Amino acid sequence: MTIRRLLTILLLAATIPAGGQTKFVFSPQWIAQAQFAGYYVAKEKGFYEEAGLDVEILHPFVTQTAEERVRGGQAQATMLTVSEALELVDKGIPLVNILQTSMNSALTIISRFGSDPLSLKGAKVITWRSGFGQIAKCMAAQEKLDYQWITASSSLNIFVSGVVDAVMAMSYNEYYQLKQTGLVQSEQGVYRFADHGFNIQEDGVYMTAAEYRKNRDAAERFAQASRRGWEWAAEHPDEALDIVMGYVKEYRIATNRVLQKLMLEEILRLQLDPDSGERAFRLRPDMVQKASRIMREGGILSREVTYEEIVP
Amino acid sequence: MRRFIESIRRSFSAKLSIWVVLFSALVFLATQSYVTFVARRSVREEAIKGANQILDNSRLRLERIISDVESAADNLEWLVYRHLDSPDTLLEYSRITVQGNDFLTGCAISFEPYYIKGMKYFSAYSSNTDGVVETQQEGDDDYQYFYLEWYLLPKLLNQPCWTEPYSDWDYDDDYALPTEMLISYCKPLTGPEGDFIGVISLDISLKWLSQTLSSVKPYPNSYSTLVSRGGTYLVHPDSEKLFYQTLFTDYLVEPDPASEQMCRSVIAGEEGMEEIELDGEDCYVFYKPIKATGWAMAIVCQQKDVFGSFNRLRAIVLAIILMGLLLLFLTCLNVIRRTLQPLRDLAAEAGHIAEGDFGRSLPQVDRVDEIGTLSRSFEHMQGSLVSYIDELTKTTANKERIEGELRIAHAIQMAMVPSVFPAFPERKELDLYASMRPAKEVGGDLYDYFLLGDKLYFCIGDVSGKGIPASLFMATARNLFRVVGKEEVPPAEIARRLNDTLSENNEQLMFVTAFIGVLDLITGHLDFCNCGHNPPVMIPASGSPAFLDCIPNTPIGACPGWEYQGQEIDDLRGSAIFLYTDGLTEAENLSHEAFGDAKLLAELRKDASGPAEAVVSRMLRAVAGHVGFAEPSDDLTILCLRLKA
Repeated sequence: MTIRRLLTILLLAATIPAGGQTKFVFSPQWIAQAQFAGYYVAKEKGFYEEAGLDVEILHPFVTQTAEERVRGGQAQATMLTVSEALELVDKGIPLVNILQTSMNSALTIISRFGSDPLSLKGAKVITWRSGFGQIAKCMAAQEKLDYQWITASSSLNIFVSGVVDAVMAMSYNEYYQLKQTGLVQSEQGVYRFADHGFNIQEDGVYMTAAEYRKNRDAAERFAQASRRGWEWAAEHPDEALDIVMGYVKEYRIATNRVLQKLMLEEILRLQLDPDSGERAFRLRPDMVQKASRIMREGGILSREVTYEEIVP
Repeated sequence: MRRFIESIRRSFSAKLSIWVVLFSALVFLATQSYVTFVARRSVREEAIKGANQILDNSRLRLERIISDVESAADNLEWLVYRHLDSPDTLLEYSRITVQGNDFLTGCAISFEPYYIKGMKYFSAYSSNTDGVVETQQEGDDDYQYFYLEWYLLPKLLNQPCWTEPYSDWDYDDDYALPTEMLISYCKPLTGPEGDFIGVISLDISLKWLSQTLSSVKPYPNSYSTLVSRGGTYLVHPDSEKLFYQTLFTDYLVEPDPASEQMCRSVIAGEEGMEEIELDGEDCYVFYKPIKATGWAMAIVCQQKDVFGSFNRLRAIVLAIILMGLLLLFLTCLNVIRRTLQPLRDLAAEAGHIAEGDFGRSLPQVDRVDEIGTLSRSFEHMQGSLVSYIDELTKTTANKERIEGELRIAHAIQMAMVPSVFPAFPERKELDLYASMRPAKEVGGDLYDYFLLGDKLYFCIGDVSGKGIPASLFMATARNLFRVVGKEEVPPAEIARRLNDTLSENNEQLMFVTAFIGVLDLITGHLDFCNCGHNPPVMIPASGSPAFLDCIPNTPIGACPGWEYQGQEIDDLRGSAIFLYTDGLTEAENLSHEAFGDAKLLAELRKDASGPAEAVVSRMLRAVAGHVGFAEPSDDLTILCLRLKA
């Protein structure tokens, strides 16, 4: 299975307006699922088209990391968590946040046999290759948990096999997948970062500073239409779920409607600002500052990356 | 409805039939329930046995496949260790392995970074797509297999293992798309020091596995299913569920603790059978673990299938019972109706007979049972009734005739005594009034009077006994009085002659008490003879009424040859004499108290100054007042005579 790269074609397509509309390639974090409902809605309901954009949603391969996606340059805009963005900026890739959807952390650690993850010193814990588990590593360091991190592209089956003690899980995805195995029954073994002073925003849409300068107008239109897509999804969750299931089927994802429904509900909940309770769609300086500080202390960042650096 | 119940209440046959059918239904129901209980249990046990057998067969088949895959891996492992220095040979071995084992869709011999000839990625991979085997060296920056579970799992476990189902991705397209669901048997490879160097993984298509295992069905709607350790359906007839859902998916939104508990038992490697509701159907779920893999097999049978033919049979039996009960009801109704028909006919005929049609012929019943007996008794009763009524008719006619004759006799008797008052209108000095009331149609009392010149002959009498004999004796006595009186002899002589005549041939020993008087209307001289009669009451012009002092003598007809002694009163002018029979003094009320002499005197002493008719009427009223509603026991005769001064 040699992978045929269509990078050149994609890059060309991105810059040539198609039928008077600007081609815009957007790469979400993961394979098709309700986490990206707002973007699917914006595309299917014609919000992007109305904004003069021909948006292509390019899902990544399961083994690709955020850095690889950004560096690969197949897409103008890439979905990243705040911690991933800070890490990349620190590594010298200047980024601009053009849309922030998440207002809360969905990160959890779930133990295999129901005990409190904070009590599992030296435990084997699965993390993802995609870097948005950085905050967890900082937490573990801070709590002196001495976890042995095992990197896997997909954690579920390894967790089921019982060779690890705990797994990092997103409250909208792996959390429900694990519940679906029948192995997770109580909340006792679930550590939610949001409840322990680590409530840091996650999903947002970023562009490299260079890309942003080039396509600033399209970026703004994309952000605007995507936001519209999310608001519509929040108002019409059932129709939005139908659209999501269309994508899931098209990409032959091994999931089901129940999981996607739960995911959509959780994603929409995470989009509410913890202070105002509203769908704010903004990066919070305090959360950026907190993330930056934690990651600096955790040794992930070599310097403090500021809110101003990533906001246009 | 009320009319219907009423019609049942009125029909003995309907009531009895209903009771019979109800009781039979009860017996049938009890029997059927017991049979159902026993048969259902044995059907259930059969089903459990059958399902377990199928489950065991499928499990054996699956374990054979597993063991084939594991043998293939063992064979390959030995070759790999011998050719670690030759990547091309490894590629060839992966190819041979896939070619030699048609149940494999892929075989990869993958190594840790830089282990094979300094290459960061080396994975010798062969795939079998519909019989076409392709071999290539895999792994690059976009396909970093080290992080995939089929590589990680044996590495972490450090022992051979089976993966959970995972998607195989087709990277040849513009986008990576999952192509099919695989499970892999993975065996870690170790270096001389026991260090991990790579993984042998052999893939099987779940689609193929599913087709291989799901072909056997004990019942039309039953199905086999295979679930992984994580509850994922590896075999399931519903493509929506297969690979995409787990045992617990539905319970994420609609918890069902009982079913969830069963699912936990299934994935925990337990063996068992449960009755649960799946998609609205009551089902039996039989499950067993596949030990080597941590998977579990289950057969789901709908209860309606298991009990399908049994339920059909039961429905037929129930239908037969219902029809039988209906038939029983109709037969009962008919038989009882027919049996009771003579009774109904009898009742109808009895109605006619009751209305007076005694001559109706009764239906002929040849039966020897109770109904026959009743019918014959009724016939006998009808015969008796007819002859009785005949007798009664005759007797009644007879009685009516006698009564008619008695009425005539009464009229004749009443005509025999003078009944026109005033008796002698031309004799103003005489005030006479008399009344006779027989107790029956004819009586034995008598009174009479006649005028001969200036002399008034009168008498009052009472024949012994009552009724017709007494009346005939009375008639004879009265005629004799008239005949003898006309000879102008004194009362004692009249009495003597009457006595002599009536005594003759008096075989019946009848007699008559009498008071005979002859009153000279001019002088007021009264000759009288009392023949055993009640003494009359004298009502003087002044002074109180009192019984007349009389020689009793003896009643006429009793003693032949008796010498009667007469008595006399010089002058009766201004006085009255009140004569009566014992019907007056012996008149009884309901308490059997006689009117009595005292009351008679008291009544007369109250007022006896008026005309004779008034005195008689007042006395009759007084007697009527005393008697009240009591039947008159004796003839009552009164005669009152007053001679004015």
